[in-house]
Amino acid sequence: MLALSRANIGDAARVWRRNFDVYIRLWRTEIIAPIIDPIFSVIGFGLGIGSLVAGNVTGMPFLTFIGAGVLAFASVLRAVFECSYGSYFRMVYQSTFDAILCTPVEAESLTLGEITWGMTKALFDGVVVLVVLAVFGAVLSPWGLLAPLVLTIGAFWFSALAVLITSRIHDINHYNIFLAFVFSYFWISGTFFPLDTLPKYVQWLAWSIPMTSAVDAARELMAGRIGLRLLPGLLYLIASSLVLTELAMRSMRRRMVN
Amino acid sequence: MLIGMQKNQTAVDASNVVKRYGDLAAVDGISFKVGYGEAFGLLGPNGAGKSTLMRMIYCRSPLTSGTLRVVGLDVSDEARTIRGRVGIVPQENNLDPDITVRENLLVYARYYRIPRQEAEERAERLIGFVELEEKRDARIDALSGGMKRRLMIARALINDPTILVLDEPTTGLDPHVRLAIWDKLRVLRQQGLTIILSTHYMDEAEKLCDRLMIIDHGHILVSGQPRQLIDEYALKTVLEVRGVAERELHAGGPGVIAERHGASHHYYATTVDQLAPLIREFEACETYLRPSNLEDVFMRLTDRERLT
Repeated sequence: MLALSRANIGDAARVWRRNFDVYIRLWRTEIIAPIIDPIFSVIGFGLGIGSLVAGNVTGMPFLTFIGAGVLAFASVLRAVFECSYGSYFRMVYQSTFDAILCTPVEAESLTLGEITWGMTKALFDGVVVLVVLAVFGAVLSPWGLLAPLVLTIGAFWFSALAVLITSRIHDINHYNIFLAFVFSYFWISGTFFPLDTLPKYVQWLAWSIPMTSAVDAARELMAGRIGLRLLPGLLYLIASSLVLTELAMRSMRRRMVN
Repeated sequence: MLIGMQKNQTAVDASNVVKRYGDLAAVDGISFKVGYGEAFGLLGPNGAGKSTLMRMIYCRSPLTSGTLRVVGLDVSDEARTIRGRVGIVPQENNLDPDITVRENLLVYARYYRIPRQEAEERAERLIGFVELEEKRDARIDALSGGMKRRLMIARALINDPTILVLDEPTTGLDPHVRLAIWDKLRVLRQQGLTIILSTHYMDEAEKLCDRLMIIDHGHILVSGQPRQLIDEYALKTVLEVRGVAERELHAGGPGVIAERHGASHHYYATTVDQLAPLIREFEACETYLRPSNLEDVFMRLTDRERLT
């Protein structure tokens, strides 16, 4: 039986809502990071490195190219942190999961609530960063408004992976290894420079990781270049995210109900 | 409180319940029943299997074998419904530190799908019940240990449960707080709530429980009413002789049970007269003559695992 089919959307929404309520209490502190970070990234990458870049990159201004990277990096990383350290805190230090699992809410719904919460934070931050980018003139098309949504699907993949890892580790320091992979990935994901400048085998590796399609799609949307070309990548992203969610749910049940 | 209760149905019905972790049998073939409205105590040394058994009752620990029915439902396939009818106070407080006292109750009510209006009424009533009115809007880290424990009990009652399960409800609390919590539990018992609690405090078990069960190594050692267990295993009165590590245990005489516990001797008897010769014998030592209690039963049964 699929763990996914045991998840109850209503219960997951209630777990999500608990996190949302806490977030709303702290919104003033929560909103500062996604504003400050991209401002300096755009100054550094866009104006600094941009001054060294002559002409367009992959057919779009460098500021737009790098802006999409900054957006992807900031929003997806938010989901990664939320579903690693954030979830671990709730699971181990605050025993919030323990409390929730004493109610009718099952481990699968709890897992889904955590993953969708990670996606939500990615979306919040994505929107804030997009506003900053628009102010800098990096958003060339109204289609760019969809970029945070596409990255939220990327955040789905990373949130599910992070919750899966959270359900398996017993020492918070083990996230260092996970994060080393996450940060390494971003250097080959086409986030900060075009993938076709890299050796073929690195490109294959990059495209095999579904998140790469999300970065690509977000960028094309910001440049106003939408097309069916983006669809297979996004379907791959969604399918693999569902697989990771199934694994995370199974693993969370093993961890919490034993 | 007794909604859904049916005749001929017990609150908890365990039949040959087993829980294994690898080679270790945490619960090794336990059968017992708890009736509706009963206060049932679970005693045993650390690692005896108390917490595992309680986790099985509230469906957080699947059975390796055996059958366990709670409120008439099988834990293996009705976990969700069962947890909706059971209130749980785990050993460790797990209140939500990011929100207030009142919000802790309201957020918890959501997991049970209690409508907002109803949840707010219940939250107010329960805050009153556990006397936390002045802390209604305080954060959890502003509460004392006793307040946190009271809030845990209030939270476990938010779904108006049929059974309240408490894992060591007063461990680590001062005597005043323990008395206050006992008072609350007595009120709940009078209201007809079924209570299942584990404890290391024999006075707690004796005062609160109608019936109890002492387990060790995953097995039931004895079960029964507190007074009945005391009469059977520790008789009526005890002569405790302290600081006699090097002295031979006295045979005791007819009707007297003699046991060594660490550096002390314990002589159990039905009447004080039976102990008179021993009192003279140990005149020079530190001696105490007192009524037998549940602690004596516990020590006799679990200390050396002997059922003489």
